[in-house]
Amino acid sequence: MSAEILDKSKANKNIVKYIVVLLIFLGALVLSIQSEGQSKFPKSVTDEFTFTAWVNDGEDYLKKNYRWITKIIAGYIKSGYYFLEDFLIDSPWLLIASILFLPCLIAGGLRLGLYSLFVIYFWGGVGMWDESLQTLALMGLSVVLCVFFGVLLGVLCSQSDRFENFMKPILDTMQVMPAFVYLFPALFFFGIGGAPAILATMIYAMPPVIRLTNAGIRQVSEQIIESATSFGSSKLQLLFKIKIPLSLPSIMMGINQVIMMALALVVLACFIGAEGIGGQVWLAIRNLDVGWAMEGGLCILFMAIMFDRFSMSFSKEEERLPLDVQKFYLLPQSWEKFQIARIFEKPLSYSHAIINLVCKKITNLISYVAEFITSLFNKPLGRDIGEFVGNRYYIIPSFIVFFIISFIDSNIFSIGTFPEEWKLSIRQPIADTVKSLTVNPGFIAFTKGLRAFVYLNLLNPLDTFLTHTPWWYTTAVFALIGYFTVGLRFAFITVLLLLFIGACGIWPQSMITLSSVLVSVALCFAIGVPLGIIASYNPRFKNIQNVVLDAMQTLPYFCYLIPVLMFFGGGIVSAVLATVIYSIPPIIRLTSLGLTQVSGTFSEVSRSFGGTTLQTLNKVKFPLAVPSLVIGFNQTVIMAFAMQIVTPLIGGKGLGLEVFNGLARSDTGRGLAAGIGIVLMAIIIDRISLAWTKKQREALGL
Amino acid sequence: MNISKKLSAMILSIVLVISSFGTANAAKRLTAAVADWTGGEITCQVAVSILEDELGYKIKRVVFPSGTGLWEAIAAGEIDFACESWPSYAEADTVMMKGPLIYDGKTMFNYEGDGSVKLLGTTGIIGLSDYFIPKYAADKFGIKSWKDLNKHKDKFATIESGKRGRLIGCPVAGWNCHDQKRLDLLGIDFQADELGTEAAAIAEAVAAYERKEPFLLYLWQPHWFFGAYDMVGVGLPEHKTCDSFTEANNWKDCGTAAWPATGWAKDYTMNYGNPETFAKAEHADAAKFFTKMKFDNADQAVMLVEVKQKNRDLKEVVAEWKKNNPNKWKSWLP
Repeated sequence: MSAEILDKSKANKNIVKYIVVLLIFLGALVLSIQSEGQSKFPKSVTDEFTFTAWVNDGEDYLKKNYRWITKIIAGYIKSGYYFLEDFLIDSPWLLIASILFLPCLIAGGLRLGLYSLFVIYFWGGVGMWDESLQTLALMGLSVVLCVFFGVLLGVLCSQSDRFENFMKPILDTMQVMPAFVYLFPALFFFGIGGAPAILATMIYAMPPVIRLTNAGIRQVSEQIIESATSFGSSKLQLLFKIKIPLSLPSIMMGINQVIMMALALVVLACFIGAEGIGGQVWLAIRNLDVGWAMEGGLCILFMAIMFDRFSMSFSKEEERLPLDVQKFYLLPQSWEKFQIARIFEKPLSYSHAIINLVCKKITNLISYVAEFITSLFNKPLGRDIGEFVGNRYYIIPSFIVFFIISFIDSNIFSIGTFPEEWKLSIRQPIADTVKSLTVNPGFIAFTKGLRAFVYLNLLNPLDTFLTHTPWWYTTAVFALIGYFTVGLRFAFITVLLLLFIGACGIWPQSMITLSSVLVSVALCFAIGVPLGIIASYNPRFKNIQNVVLDAMQTLPYFCYLIPVLMFFGGGIVSAVLATVIYSIPPIIRLTSLGLTQVSGTFSEVSRSFGGTTLQTLNKVKFPLAVPSLVIGFNQTVIMAFAMQIVTPLIGGKGLGLEVFNGLARSDTGRGLAAGIGIVLMAIIIDRISLAWTKKQREALGL
Repeated sequence: MNISKKLSAMILSIVLVISSFGTANAAKRLTAAVADWTGGEITCQVAVSILEDELGYKIKRVVFPSGTGLWEAIAAGEIDFACESWPSYAEADTVMMKGPLIYDGKTMFNYEGDGSVKLLGTTGIIGLSDYFIPKYAADKFGIKSWKDLNKHKDKFATIESGKRGRLIGCPVAGWNCHDQKRLDLLGIDFQADELGTEAAAIAEAVAAYERKEPFLLYLWQPHWFFGAYDMVGVGLPEHKTCDSFTEANNWKDCGTAAWPATGWAKDYTMNYGNPETFAKAEHADAAKFFTKMKFDNADQAVMLVEVKQKNRDLKEVVAEWKKNNPNKWKSWLP
């Protein structure tokens, strides 16, 4: 009886909720229809609040008074970068190839080794050898600096709660702030080329290392710490001997992410004169050469995969096989039952044994000689050296190989750069495909239909609605949402942030951005969730999809801008579609993850009660997968906001265009205000949806 | 442990040092920003190859998207010179350059900026801007000048522009084309779309041309697009010199005659560089060369077709031009 009443009151509450939402929406609709033009902030406020002028004055002051410091910093970074770049480009290509190949072979086995050979060949084959190495140098140096400072800051965060709380919003901002905003000021302070590119990359790519180092150190179990303290370790000893070594896997994961993010930004760095593949891709876009752009994109993609696998092979535990089972070097171990596979692998295992033996013998010999010579002067030191050398029977021979190659190059004959005869080109087929699609009437009818649908039914109405609704009304609605999902404090902050956006005079632009993002996310949802569902039921489809998604996430987004333009024309619809392509992966991944993770028992129970597949999916799996879905939604939203900064290149409007216009006139303040606008909106939506998941989780008892 | 670390570091650094010998510094070294549009790339390659082959310079090429960043980089001395600046597109020119713009011995314009960037001389290329429609559309609808555009505006409409026609306008706001203002003042009921980059505008135009759709495009000559596609200009009104076309007086007065207009004289493209670099004695040759350089629109147009339509290597095309036309460039040498 009481349960019934409870249910009823709950249902009533729900109805009230819906009515309130509907009323608020209707109010907005009425207001937006009544208003004549776009809603604008009162002029008296925007005229007084000259944020852009303050920023520009501040920048001028910094430029005048502190440029000498930044020049010195830039000088150091630059010399390091040039050293690395000159080394990579001036060295014989065989040396560089072996420097990349041997570590991959040693750490990742034959499969990764062969893959690295393929990557190296691809760089040279498509004629981007120098550019790839420049990108490599840029990325390498920024990763080293990121890891150094990131681990340092991460350790500091883990030691002090106050410092952690101080860093958190800064890290959020670093990740969401569009790189274009600080890319150009960096140019004025640090000059062009490598130095500002590396610093900008550090801003963008450092947060994961800091976060993961912090998390890793904080996760070291209490018992271990206690036992270490009881043995009398000091605080520093505890940190360096126990906590940091134990959190190494977490730190390695951070490094892995840094590599990926650095590669993404290094492409953008071509806008400030940094050399490398980014410049090639940009030139290709200027020339509308899709094939060329793809070649550049694939160079980066393959490089990213190589480093990803390489760094993963370090953080992963080696899989051990029982001694009597023959280990396969190239083919999957599960193929052992096939005779052909065994025959194929035989020579590989023999050659492995031979190489192993040779390496060990050579290393032992060197270790013996080294030990003998040093022990003439100092016995214990000699033993140490001998042991050190003897234990490294892969690294020492590798260095011998490097040395032999350098020796041959400088004394016998010059190896030079990658041979031009080994050419490989995929430009023409890609360009032809795009061209034939451009004039294919069926396909163009489809793209036109899609463009009309998105523009007439989604973008245009939403744009008009959001820009015409008075600013105070929109702010109030956001504050209400913030109050009910997070709390009073957040509602207050939301109002302040939105008022800041308004006072900067960019209210209409930010509403356009908001509507583009909302439409993009809605499309991502409509396309991504079904794909995620299919993937959760069909493992083979999932495997293929994962590869495609990996590629989509690492391929520089420049690459697919031209095809989008060719098929859909420039304008806001193309901007939305490019945003969808860029930001759809998380929603697909997390849908399929969420659905797969719903424990078998739940679906088993549902099926035994006679639920059909559709019912199980709809009534059981989906509700349980909601938290995961929302995380996917969240990431998609953030990525969609980040993409807003690139879409002006193909006709996007809103805050991104403001950033571009600011930069085109070297008006940092204008660019920064718009950039901050993007960050603030992303943060507000992020917090609201996170809080909503939390409630959902609690309701589900997860 | 410590020893092992030291040894690793030592071995690594020895290898690095051994392998990175060479790269001596020569005195005649310059850094050039290579333009990122094909016409500019050709002009740059002509200038750079003459400096390298005839005057013994060693020039480092940096790909750098044009824009304010480039001007700042040159003023700061990060880049020594850049080629083919279009005055109509550069907002920085009046602020940062000082001195006369001389073409054919006549002073065309006098810059009164702070002189943080030096005007090295004109390239010889003169830009011409207009609104263009494809020839098939002009023939089909009988459009002879911009006055006929309004009659056929529905043919040029897209989903976004609704009933009005659409102009694929000047892609970058910083270029100050004021397309929409001009259209409104001329009474052409078209909507100007700013697509953000030249690449975007051209990509859309190429796709529309391949599909034989009508479109109106803002573009300038010389441009490779004209070699590949048959375009007709609508002949915007004659240009008049006038300063009152500003936001302050609501773009009135002589707005219709402002750039891009027919017969406009400003687009003498030029080379520009860092004043300190070119004041040095060892770069006197280069400075002199730049004052004499006079590359021709027609030559660039031919080379644009070679590079863009026949997909030939740009350096090869320029080298061939140099070989076949020595009389054209020999006179530029100091």
